[in-house]
Amino acid sequence: MDSVISTLIGAAEQGDSTAADALFTALYSELRRLAQRQLARHGGPPSLSATTLLHQAYIDMAESSGPSFPDRSRFIGYAARVMRGLIIDHARRQRAQKRGGLFEITLLATDPGDNSIDDRELVAISDALDELAKVDASLAELVDLKFFCGFSFAEIAAMRNVSERTVQRSWEKARIFLHCSIRPDLSV
Amino acid sequence: MFNPNRWREISPYLDQALTLADEERTVWLESLRAWDPELAVHLEALLHDHRVLIQRRFLEEQPSMSRPSGLTGQTIGAYTLVSEIGHGGMGSVWLAERSDGRFERQVAIKFLRIALAGRSGEERFKREGCILGKLSHPHIAELIDAGVSSGGQPYLVLEYIEGEHIDRYCDHRALGIEARVRLFLDVLAAVIHAHSNLIVHRDIKPSNVLVGNGGRVKLLDFGIAKLLEEGAEGEAATRLTVENERPMTPEYAAPEQLRGAAVTTGTDIYSLGVLLYVLLTGQHPAGTGPHSHADLVKSIVDTDPALPSETIAAMGAETEASILNAAKRGTSKERLSRALRGDLDTIVAKALKKNPEERYTSVGALADDLRRYLLNEPISARPDTMAYRAAKFVCRNRTAVALATVAALATGAGAIATTIQARTARLQRDFALHQLLRREAVNEFNEFLLSDAAPSGKPLTIDELLGRAERVLARQHLTDETNRVELLVSIGDQYSTQDDDAKARHVLEEAYKLSRTLPGQSIRAQASCALAGALARDGELTRAEALFQQGLRELPTESQFALDRILCLRRGSEVAQERGDSQDGIARIVEAQKILKKSPFDSDVQELRVSMELAEAYRMAGQNQQAASTFEHAAKSLSSLGRDDTQTAVVLFNDWALALDRLGRPREAQKLFLRAIDISRAGETDESVSPVLLNNYAKTLRQLGHLNDAVRYGERAYTKARSVDNQLAISQSLYVRALIYIDQHDFGRATAMLGELEPRLRRNLPSGSYWFGALESARALLAERRGDVRTALQLADRAVHTTEAAVKSGSQGLDFLPIALLRRSIVRFETGERDEAASDARRALNLFQPGGQKRIYSAYTGQAYLALGRALQAQGKDDQAEAAFQSATEHLQHTLGDDHPDTRSARILAASVQLR
Repeated sequence: MDSVISTLIGAAEQGDSTAADALFTALYSELRRLAQRQLARHGGPPSLSATTLLHQAYIDMAESSGPSFPDRSRFIGYAARVMRGLIIDHARRQRAQKRGGLFEITLLATDPGDNSIDDRELVAISDALDELAKVDASLAELVDLKFFCGFSFAEIAAMRNVSERTVQRSWEKARIFLHCSIRPDLSV
Repeated sequence: MFNPNRWREISPYLDQALTLADEERTVWLESLRAWDPELAVHLEALLHDHRVLIQRRFLEEQPSMSRPSGLTGQTIGAYTLVSEIGHGGMGSVWLAERSDGRFERQVAIKFLRIALAGRSGEERFKREGCILGKLSHPHIAELIDAGVSSGGQPYLVLEYIEGEHIDRYCDHRALGIEARVRLFLDVLAAVIHAHSNLIVHRDIKPSNVLVGNGGRVKLLDFGIAKLLEEGAEGEAATRLTVENERPMTPEYAAPEQLRGAAVTTGTDIYSLGVLLYVLLTGQHPAGTGPHSHADLVKSIVDTDPALPSETIAAMGAETEASILNAAKRGTSKERLSRALRGDLDTIVAKALKKNPEERYTSVGALADDLRRYLLNEPISARPDTMAYRAAKFVCRNRTAVALATVAALATGAGAIATTIQARTARLQRDFALHQLLRREAVNEFNEFLLSDAAPSGKPLTIDELLGRAERVLARQHLTDETNRVELLVSIGDQYSTQDDDAKARHVLEEAYKLSRTLPGQSIRAQASCALAGALARDGELTRAEALFQQGLRELPTESQFALDRILCLRRGSEVAQERGDSQDGIARIVEAQKILKKSPFDSDVQELRVSMELAEAYRMAGQNQQAASTFEHAAKSLSSLGRDDTQTAVVLFNDWALALDRLGRPREAQKLFLRAIDISRAGETDESVSPVLLNNYAKTLRQLGHLNDAVRYGERAYTKARSVDNQLAISQSLYVRALIYIDQHDFGRATAMLGELEPRLRRNLPSGSYWFGALESARALLAERRGDVRTALQLADRAVHTTEAAVKSGSQGLDFLPIALLRRSIVRFETGERDEAASDARRALNLFQPGGQKRIYSAYTGQAYLALGRALQAQGKDDQAEAAFQSATEHLQHTLGDDHPDTRSARILAASVQLR
């Protein structure tokens, strides 16, 4: 399995789009399996951190597949996109299940009414990200890493070997693109 | 959706714009507009959108995957999870139901994304949760339980509340200003209750204040911010989990929170001020429009907000926002602005002061003003008012008083120790009273003292204020006897600060008697220990100790009594010190420090206070080395709290300098005294500086040989002491001035000073006091300088005997003894009694430098070596003399500097012995 992923990454990097699709599917099922294992574990956390999950996935796969496995940054670059898919699908399912009601309970330092993104918006963002990926793949990947996977600017800067400032500026640009995209009245 | 080509075209310009600061960006856009207006318009729109998305915190909160509903049904403690009802950066919240079927209850379970450091972390979490759980108030959402799941996940079980955020509730119902204020008063009632239980919310904001359909206000998450911060620290320390950093929402944070300074009840007052501002105006005090994080922080810390009425007035008259905003308050823009002008402006401004000490002293005082506003009565807050000035006055005088007692402990070259010990500890406690805000009633009382009691703005003496307060209290029918005892204890403490021990004792006896009829363990212990302190000062040591022990015994060991226990131990330390058992005095403060560190109430401010008292206890015990290093430590935390220029700093620097002075390090002492003076001066003249501080400084200047400055400060100290009628400071400055005049060879003046001093001492001190030794010793010095060595010898002899007798009888004077010996050694050298001169110098040396502290430089040690060297040289023991001179040079160089006359003498003498 893991050496399959390793091979698929190689092929995808050569521009093989079938391999890229297969890679997505393979990583998706692997991450999903990991997430479910974590969530099902008795007394496990009621919510999962994507960052932790990705680290875990990398360690699992790299260990069993040996030195040919791509380095962590490369792997995470691919997996971040997959992670987004996982989160979006999860959100879609949640939405289907969620009960209605007017109550609100607040979280510390967060305000679901204002800040946290609702599932519909999340799906819209994901669609806009696919558009962004066509224009500027690196910006889209940045959003996957930062927003969906929770990596810090510093970590991303290290992965990409650029300065933190550069990452931050790109991030602001990506936010503008996405924000305008999901608000049709502002589109250019 | 963006047109891809358009995006590629605009992208490099965005890059450029995002690197520019706001002002630069405007200029840049203008120049761009000149050659491509269409592009400029697009960019402008995008940049506007950028500001909007920053304010919305767009994409700042990471989505998370929650446990799928398929796992609903898990049990946590006695509850079964029903469904997830929210999630965010801090964790997720679930609706849950009791599963033991005994009664039906829906609760919210909040899983916190923090990592607790091990078992001790878990226990601390549960313990603090338990304390928070004791908060029971109709307007506070109940914390039912706190625990840690089998998987190590901390969670809180909370009352399940349905409601709207208070601001939205008000807007949706178009509540008018008065209705909003009334609703806000319910919020205040909840906060008052929590504060009286020593719990600060730390995170008051609309989303934590829900209003249910019936209009019932509920505050959520009391004290939980603290739990989380502590949890987060643990996490940072261990780095075991990689989770979201807590998103910081500074909109409602107080300046001190953003600066990382201490959080007190004043912090909540500020956040309440912001909330009130928003409810009244619909705007944040930092102004309209989106802010970047950094701008917001800067604005909160630095910029005074516009008054609410101005904010409304400044809104564009015809804009939709402006009309809507007024409509939500059931009025028009003009009427709204008028309604806010005056009292509400003033009340909000006072709550939003940058400096916590200038805000309302309690939430109760804020509530009172709002009630007065509703009743159309005059409010207590005024823009820059009498009350403000009166507060300043009391504050200043309290410092003066504090220093006056500190003065009693002044030692050093002028070696004035005292019959009155252990005062500073008590005084510092009173400084700290404000930080701690023990009970609302006490705070309201203090507020009263500071404002209403000085209506004319004319400075009342504190004594008058207290007398008035006592009479008011006697007339008031306080329904709660506990409050009454608290107030009496507070008045008693204030009297103690004034050194009015008789009155303090009277009031505290009454408090104690009343407390015996009450069941509360906390109030009983408070009354009993407060009285113990007062009795000790009055010399009733046996009963004082018994009351202290009783107070301590009555207190359960649970952590919610930690503060009372600490308070008792601090009074117990006074009792011990008053009894002369300085080691026990130290031990009790050390114990208090230990309890504080373990208690949930631990804070930098409190640790600072306790460590200042510990330092003071060391100083009392003559352990000046420990005292100095403890003071140094305290000064560091003072600085990190951003309190470098407060009255606490004045006391700290003064006391620290005294310890250094006693160690023979006058140069360091001088700097600290000067800092203390600069702070007290605070832009005014020396008028506000305590005479004692001026005098301490004069004494150090004299030691350093800066006689002209020393005279100036000594005379100022004397004049000031006279004008405020501070008897102790008058005596002390007479003594110090005499010594300075002697050094200046102004013998007539010196004689006059000592002549004035003597009857004062006879009036105020028991005949065996070593003070008389100090007086004789000064006279010996005077006679010796005049050349009358016979008289000098007699006086120097008497000075040593008087001091020895005082030390032997168990009273103070040990600090002064080496100085008396040193002076006699110098006189004996003049009269030709070489052996005796050498032996006096040796004894002085041993006392200055007990057992092997040779490496610590001290001016006193240097001066003793100098005297010893001279005697040895006269005895013909050149080798030993040379060694003594060399030691003298070394000590004096390091402490007084190369140019000091004593240093020069020592150097020349060392060289001349070598030449022989």
